[in-house]
Amino acid sequence: MTCGGSAPRDYEAKVAGGRALGDGSGLLAVECEDIASAAEPGQFVMVRPGSCGDPFLGRPLAVAATSGGIFKMLYRVVGRGTELLVSKRQGDSLVVRGPIGRGFFSSRGDMPLPKKVLLAGGSVGAAPLLFAARRLGMAKVAGVSMGVSGRGWEGFAEWLKESFPGVALFSDDGSVGTKGTALDGLPCQLPADTEIWACGPQGMLRALAAKYPEDRARIRVALESRMACGMGGCLGCVIPTARGNRRVCVDGPVFTAEEVLWNEFAD
Amino acid sequence: MSSRTEMHVSIGGLNLESPVIIASGVWPYEAELWSPERLEGVGALCTKAVSLNGRAGNKGVRVWETPCGMLNSIGLQNGGVRSFLDDYLPLVRGAYRPFLVNLVMESEREVRESIAALAEIPGIPAIELNISCPNVDGDGMAWGISAESAAKAVRIARSEWKGALWVKLTPQSPDLAGVAKAAEAEGADALVCGNTWLGMAMDIKKKRPVFQRVVAGLSGPAVFPLALRTVWQVCGAVKLPVIGCGGVASWEDATAMLLAGASAVEVGSALFTDFDLPRKIVAGLSTYLAEQKIDTVSGLTGLGRHE
Ligand SMILES: Cc1cc2nc3c(=O)[nH]c(=O)nc-3n(C[C@H](O)[C@H](O)[C@H](O)COP(=O)(O)OP(=O)(O)OC[C@H]3O[C@@H](n4cnc5c(N)ncnc54)[C@H](O)[C@@H]3O)c2cc1C
Ligand SMILES: Cc1cc2nc3c(=O)[nH]c(=O)nc-3n(C[C@H](O)[C@H](O)[C@H](O)COP(=O)(O)O)c2cc1C
Ligand code: FES
Repeated sequence: MTCGGSAPRDYEAKVAGGRALGDGSGLLAVECEDIASAAEPGQFVMVRPGSCGDPFLGRPLAVAATSGGIFKMLYRVVGRGTELLVSKRQGDSLVVRGPIGRGFFSSRGDMPLPKKVLLAGGSVGAAPLLFAARRLGMAKVAGVSMGVSGRGWEGFAEWLKESFPGVALFSDDGSVGTKGTALDGLPCQLPADTEIWACGPQGMLRALAAKYPEDRARIRVALESRMACGMGGCLGCVIPTARGNRRVCVDGPVFTAEEVLWNEFAD
Repeated sequence: MSSRTEMHVSIGGLNLESPVIIASGVWPYEAELWSPERLEGVGALCTKAVSLNGRAGNKGVRVWETPCGMLNSIGLQNGGVRSFLDDYLPLVRGAYRPFLVNLVMESEREVRESIAALAEIPGIPAIELNISCPNVDGDGMAWGISAESAAKAVRIARSEWKGALWVKLTPQSPDLAGVAKAAEAEGADALVCGNTWLGMAMDIKKKRPVFQRVVAGLSGPAVFPLALRTVWQVCGAVKLPVIGCGGVASWEDATAMLLAGASAVEVGSALFTDFDLPRKIVAGLSTYLAEQKIDTVSGLTGLGRHE
């Protein structure tokens, strides 16, 4: 039970800037040399958006990009904590713990990288995939398929198109891109030299595992779970896997679809 | 920075370089986090709960945020006492400071076996007997509710364990002073006051309780005034050293616990958002001692009780 990289640290960091993507989603850039230089795609940070201990716990948010001492996060407002992120302005301070967990690369151990990678994401699950695409280099990325729920996600969809040229875009109601889900943009058969790297709502990842029952070892999913500590201590974030309970925060968040016991795992 | 002697406390058989102890169940067995560099300000650490055999813990949602706090229903997930000794003890020793093995009070047979296994290994300084976990059926908190059952639990543990024996109380007992006195009479060396508070949460979208066991343990700053009150109460009932635990999130909180009669504090949930809290507490206490012209931190214990 040891984490992928080194244990995270806490930083009081400054907001370097933000960009609203419309309808409650946005990007937030934070100055933190240590996190920006160490983070890998799939890793995340725990952000404390408030002050004086309320809200109490950090919010887990994936690292979406890094450059020159700054890392970016992509958020969607769903509650109190993410709401507070919207009001953050350049120069505001923010307490962050990170970088946390095993990402898409370090979760492989000694396994060599595949020839090609297909990226599949649902809504803000795009964040770690964007980062992964940059690290892999576009030559390795065989395709990008993204799904959003639909109306209300137009601004986000524009940003996706900007970030992933050639992205196959789907929405549940058909109002953005093609009607369908990110899975509809993936081939029926997974080519032998290819892996899928995915991040999104649990239902989407479960459906992905079901779509390729024979190839689950070649599917890497970045999971979400309710978290308290983001350091492997509380055991609040565990999921059932073939090797027993594993902590999403430090044993993951990236797992192979083969490891996860999808039937025993309900939110 | 504080000098060694200023922060030194001697409690129930242990010598601590600071009165700040990491509470049970919050610190991971990650080598880097047990290195002295990451433990600045920490006087001692409690391990995660250890039971005789491994436990998978509870299913479903395990943590839930509440106003200024959180609920947990972990359910004592651990690999059992053998796994603790084989896999984690070397790491725990690497912290180079006293530690307490948080031992779940299970059945008499199980606890005797667990203690026998711990006693075989030289150099385990202390047991923190957990008669207070609210997240399992039968064991844990069930032992800490009445003075009679608490007395029995401590008697069993005391008869097997020669090292320091601290007993971690549950604030759910309607007779906390009685439980504390019973633990004292049966030979406990110190009392930890205390574990989490029984609460629950409702998922209004699903129209179901959040936790599979319905109830869960409340911790964090929200419980601090409650915990402080129990410390005051227990310190008034016994002569044993008392360790204040519940919602400590600043040096001011730690100071209040000491003034109420505690000899040290345990910090739990607050570490989830601040690794550096133990160092900050020690620094704050040190400045406070200087301002108040008090020589040592142990001089604060119970000062708030005097007329
Ligand atoms: C590893 C990981 C990476 C994530 N990356 C992103 C990201 O890049 N962008 C993004 O927008 N969201 C991401 N999420 C989800 C995000 O953490 C939640 O949306 C957020 O915590 C909600 O907080 P809130 O205060 O707005 O909501 P509230 O519902 O008010 O939060 C209450 C509590 O529940 C927790 N919580 C609520 N929803 C979730 C959830 N889905 N997962 C985990 N905890 C939750 C909160 O952290 C908080 O402790 C990620 C989650 C995980 C586990
Ligand atoms: C996630 C979590 C796990 C815990 N596990 C244990 C445990 O294994 N044994 C125990 O005696 N107490 C356990 N506790 C209780 C804490 O040690 C502490 O008594 C309690 O949380 C109150 O202190 P706090 O408000 O500083 O967290 C746990 C608490 C939390 C939040
Ligand atoms: S969030 Fe605490 S162990 Fe993962």
